[in-house]
Amino acid sequence: MQPSSREMQGMAGSMNGGISHSAAVAQIALRELQNGHGGRQIPNSGPQASFDDGASGHDDFLDQMLSSLPSSWAELGNLKTPWDPPEAGQRIFGAGLAGETSPEEPSAAAAEGMRYPPYDESSLLANRLRRHQISGGSSPNGKAMMVHLDHQSQQQMLLPSLGRSPVASGDSGLLSLPLTLGTGGYDVDAPFKSLNPTGGEGLFNGLGGPLQRGQSAFGHPQHQGGASMPSQNFTAAAATGGVGQAASASASASASAGGGTGPPRQKVRARRGQATDPHSIAERLRRERIADRMKALQELVPNANKTDKASMLDEIIDYVKFLQLQVKVLSMSRLGGAAAVAPLVADMSSEGQSGAGSGGANSSGDTLTVTEHQVAKLMEEDMGSAMQYLQGKGLCLMPISLASAISTATACPPRPLSSSLSSAGACHLGHGILPGGPHPPNPSGDAPASPGVSALTAQSAIANGAAEAAKEAVTVSKA
Amino acid sequence: MDSENSACGNPNPNPTLGPSKLMLAFRFLRALSLVHRTTPASSRTCRGRRIERAAYASMAYSAGTGRGWSRAVLRRLHHRARRRAVAPRRLSTTAGNRAEALRQLVPGGAGMDYCTLLEETADYIKCLSMQVELMQGIVDSSSSYGP
Repeated sequence: MQPSSREMQGMAGSMNGGISHSAAVAQIALRELQNGHGGRQIPNSGPQASFDDGASGHDDFLDQMLSSLPSSWAELGNLKTPWDPPEAGQRIFGAGLAGETSPEEPSAAAAEGMRYPPYDESSLLANRLRRHQISGGSSPNGKAMMVHLDHQSQQQMLLPSLGRSPVASGDSGLLSLPLTLGTGGYDVDAPFKSLNPTGGEGLFNGLGGPLQRGQSAFGHPQHQGGASMPSQNFTAAAATGGVGQAASASASASASAGGGTGPPRQKVRARRGQATDPHSIAERLRRERIADRMKALQELVPNANKTDKASMLDEIIDYVKFLQLQVKVLSMSRLGGAAAVAPLVADMSSEGQSGAGSGGANSSGDTLTVTEHQVAKLMEEDMGSAMQYLQGKGLCLMPISLASAISTATACPPRPLSSSLSSAGACHLGHGILPGGPHPPNPSGDAPASPGVSALTAQSAIANGAAEAAKEAVTVSKA
Repeated sequence: MDSENSACGNPNPNPTLGPSKLMLAFRFLRALSLVHRTTPASSRTCRGRRIERAAYASMAYSAGTGRGWSRAVLRRLHHRARRRAVAPRRLSTTAGNRAEALRQLVPGGAGMDYCTLLEETADYIKCLSMQVELMQGIVDSSSSYGP
């Protein structure tokens, strides 16, 4: 840091030229931003104003302005070499630009340096920018710069107008110095922010503030903060708000453009997150849809606390595999219990009869048993017809647990038919037939309040017991 | 095998709301009883496979034809009735293979784009879990009364 500050002070002698440098640079930006607003007087007033300010204050301003330039501009310093800059400045410049020159620039820069008079660095800046445009730029920063300048100044009017500004030679070191500091990632819009002022006086009034900070900000890689400060001062001092708005709009747009895709030149810069390209819009829609689906899947799949999309997909895949495996296992394991089902269903009638017989047969019991047989037979063939038969009789299917609960709750003495209930156990279908409906047949006939409960089960081979089904897979009740 | 399922009548009246549990249970129990009735008791593995096919068939029928995976399942069932089909080989989930593995798991996933695949997977998982619940309940209720 020390050598550079020494260099800056060493060049205080050429401060006037430096000021005109900065003024010229400011004028370029101003012209480009205003595009004819009233910047005509600036090149005239600038040089005069430059002599008014103190020499010590302006190196900071120049420092800040030029330090915010993108590093791709650094090769501008190459142009200075044939112009006999101060020795120290040249040294620093050469050291700083060691890694910053893009391959295609130096030759063009040298050629350009030959073409223009030494005091016309401002025009060189403009030309450099145009060259960036032509060559396509080496960085998005360069591209953004190109876009902004291309917007405003296609015309070559800069050159003849700036040719008038008496820029002293030997101040190239000033220009080059801050470029060495600008090796960090500089914001593209910073130079535009800092080049906000409209009036010549406003330019230097606003400059008075940040100039003191320039020294402190000298060695810092972060010049954006310093550059933004001048911009705020400039906007405050700006006489025409239009320029300020244009500059800030362009600045914000270029800031967001860095995040978005790099559109070709002369296209409207889109706001952040809203690309104008139809492909990216479709892409964004697709991504949103996929994100929605993933969220829905996350709710279905247990253990969905994974934030990573890939691990979430893995979890989903594993869960699907697990479910499919469960289906397979359950279908295999049901053989053990189900193996007895077929003979049981076939033996339904005999079981029912024996159960009814052991419980004490009576006419109503027989009726119900007959009904049970009928339903059993029907259930073997077609479920639908079985249910229709039941409904026709005014009966309904009911879970056995519920049926037993009802039978115990009514506290009626065990009926002859209840033995069939107890002997039923749970069928693998889990059905129970309960009299219910408009014409409930009352088998016992002695207690009209309590309905006779009989359970028809497909698996009635189980010994009696107050068998409540632990879980009912199906509960069908008459509506 | 799925004749009784297809003969049931109306497909899912509200496919957008998802499959209904009652319809699923109804179809599956019917199919199950049919399986028990028709297969000989000696061939256990054969019956197991039939039960599994009945499960998938009832799942697909209750889900309706509005879903890609259900259509694919029914297609596969109809074709398998004619010829023996091989079980689809499973891909191991590697970094690049996740979408592929998912496509192989979900029926009919090969012809879908990624977005549709995720949607179908969600519906498939819903139906699968309902089917598993149903079968688990049946097994539980039948096994708790073993002598």
